[in-house]
This record gives sequence, C-alpha cells and structure tokens, in this order.
Amino acid sequence: MAFTIKVKVNGEWKTADVEPEMTLLELLREQWGLTGTKLGCDEGDCGACTVLFDGKPVNSCLVLAVRADGHDVVTVEGLGTAERPHPLQSAFEQHGAVQCGFCAPGMLISAKALLDANPEPAEQEIREALAGNLCRCTGYTKIVEAVKSAGRAMRSSVK
Amino acid sequence: MKHFEYFSAHSAEEAVALLQKYSPDALPIAGGTELLVRMKQNLIHPKVLVDITHVPEFQGIALTEDGLRIGSLVTHAEVAASPLVRQYAPAVAAASGSVGAVQTRNLGTLGGNLVSCVPSIDSAPALLVLEAQAVVFGVNGRRQFPLTELFVGPRCSSLTPAELLEAVIIPRHNLGKPACFSKFGRRKALTIALVNAAACVETNPERTHFSQVRLALGAVAPTPIRAYTAEAYLAGKPVAQEVLLEAGRLAAEDAKPIDDFRASAEYRRHLIGVLTRRVIEGALAGMPKV
Repeated sequence: MAFTIKVKVNGEWKTADVEPEMTLLELLREQWGLTGTKLGCDEGDCGACTVLFDGKPVNSCLVLAVRADGHDVVTVEGLGTAERPHPLQSAFEQHGAVQCGFCAPGMLISAKALLDANPEPAEQEIREALAGNLCRCTGYTKIVEAVKSAGRAMRSSVK
Repeated sequence: MKHFEYFSAHSAEEAVALLQKYSPDALPIAGGTELLVRMKQNLIHPKVLVDITHVPEFQGIALTEDGLRIGSLVTHAEVAASPLVRQYAPAVAAASGSVGAVQTRNLGTLGGNLVSCVPSIDSAPALLVLEAQAVVFGVNGRRQFPLTELFVGPRCSSLTPAELLEAVIIPRHNLGKPACFSKFGRRKALTIALVNAAACVETNPERTHFSQVRLALGAVAPTPIRAYTAEAYLAGKPVAQEVLLEAGRLAAEDAKPIDDFRASAEYRRHLIGVLTRRVIEGALAGMPKV
C-alpha cells in the first residue's frame, strides 16, 4: 500500500505517494529530481546522502520516506545557488575543497549543521562533525580549512 | 529493499499487538540504522515493519524514584547531550557519543543498539557496570530484569518477538558513581569497537585501596560481559599499577575473544589489559579531589 506524505523540502511543502520500502534518498533523487544528494554506500557509512532532518544531519539512505511525513528536510539544493552561494559553498570553492565532488554535498550539509549549532568550532570539532562523511580523494585538510573559513565569514557577516 | 507492509504504532499496547498479530513476520523499527542495513544486505526480509518511534512510553530521559530512566527511543545524540545523563552517568553519555558518526547518532536509538545484541555495541559496558535494569513491555504488561539478562548471544536477545525494550534504568544508588568508558577501534570515529570496556570504581576514603570495582567488556565474547574474576580480585587490593596489570590479565581470562577480519583473539586479549587499566584509571581520575 502506498502512503501519501507531505514533506517540507528546502522550505517548500511537497507531497508524494511512496511505497514503504522507499528511502528518503530515493524520494529526493528519483521522484523530486533533487540529485545533489548522492547515493554512495547505501548503508550509512559514507555520508554522501546526508541531509538535514529537522535540522539534524542524518543519512537519508537509512530513513524510510514514509518517516519523513510532516518533517523538515534540507538538501544541498537548499543551501544556495550558483548566483548566491552559501558561505560554505564559496569557501569550498576558494579552498579547493572539492576534488571529484561526490562527497561535497554531504560535507556541506554536515558542515552547515555544525556551524548552525556552533559558529566558532575548533578544528577537532570540525573533524568530529565530518567524521561520518568520507572523501576518497583524501582531501580532508582543505575541507576542514574551508569550514573554518566559512565560519569566520558567517560570523563577520552577522556582526 | 524487498517490499514490506508498514504500520506506525502510537502506543506501547498498539505496537506489541501489531507485532503479535503479524508474528513471526514482523519486526519493530526505531532508528533503522541497523535494521535497514540488514534488509538492504538481504540478510533479513520482514514482511511487516512496526514503526515504534511515536510510542510515547518509550521516550524521554527522567530522574525517577528508581533512578535515571532512559527511554529506549532516545537517540545516541540525545543521550550524549543530556544534562541528566552527563551529570549522573557520564560514562553512559561518553559511550553513546562514541557510537558511529553524527548522522548515526541522530537516528540510532539506545534501545535499538541494546536489543541488536551485537557483541561490540558501545552502549552496553557502561550500563552494565552501573547495574542498569531493562524494562520490557509485552502483551502481558511490563517486566523488569538486570540488563545483563537481555544479552543471550550474538544478535540474540531474551525478548520474545512481541516484546519491546521500553527503557533502561540506572539504579539510584549508582548515580554519580565514578565510572569510565573506553573504546578501541581501527580509527577514532565511525568504527566498530575491537574492544570496548567500562569500569565503575569505589575505593576507601583515603583512595589507597579498591573497595568494589565493576568491570564490563564488549566485542570479546558472544555478548557484552562483566569480568567477574577481575572484579573479585580487585576488591580490597591496593590502588597500584601491578594490581591493574593483574586485573587486566584476569579480565582477558574472563573473555572469550575470537579471531576475525578485524583483529586476532590475541590482539583483543592484549587490548583488554590496556582498556581495563584505562577505564579504572579514568574512573579514579573522575573522582572528586580528597
């Protein structure tokens, strides 16, 4: 039996008919075309599918779509646009934190959750916040630097 | 994933009634971080999933007459951040904070981790040394028993198919006792413990001798275990390095580690000695200054 669900995605309520076995990741990518969120390991190890679920980063491959009914989901498409990038997106670009780019959407979402909760994280806190996001180009140093820099930019723009 | 029927329960009674109605083809789902992975890997094929995340009885952290009650649906992130847990059972908060990564801790629940009965679960050792009780809800009502009795074997709990873990209770007499959790894995985060351990330590007022030590280990036996031989040895012994070394050696004898692709049994026995010392020293260091 399919379930009709309503999900707030990037600030906009959307409805969908979903089978119980559909994951939130499949709903986002296949029904709603939000392909910024990536399918990596599909087992909750790599973090490429990370989205904010009620403000908290989760692996969307491990959330049944039906569970998202009534909840707030933010994907990388909700962060910024090419014209108006989020400070994290600008920082990733400036610091060369994107190599193949596959991990970047998940990294950006995890980093956004961190900076939303903790605008001035220590390096160790950044590394812990990103521990669930794997980069196989092994570019963690630049990613960490980009998050630090985005934090600084966001703090100065608030002042 | 193969198709299944999905029901969302809104009370404990409804949840166990659904599980009983569709037994043996139904499984409960909470965070899903373990269950959905096993379904995707084609290891299990439940025909019915009963979503228990909206069951109010299984929520929340509260200080009660019995002690500190942590609902089974509380996520690892919530346990780790809870002011109550951090105040009264910091080793439990540390253990939950070591599970998986941020994403896993935001979905995965304390109860789901415990009932999985995987020998390496990080939430068990600290609760075992604080003598936590399990509260279980079934069609015939509630029953309560020592958490040790939940663990039967690898991925095998003492719950019947229509029973659910409702909460764990850390008894009042153990709240605030010096305890420490430590985990050793192949990397610092997002890792399965090669060995994990916890200790709860009491000494004489002068801190020269141990009066009572409880020690628990994970990933070194078919279930998380208490190291009773090491505990018995430590009672009354002086607080000294050679005593900790001997306790570690005895703890390794209490365990039955296996060789697998993560580590050899020999290496795990070595780690038991190291972690035994670390958690006892950690608990001692956490004591208020005399």
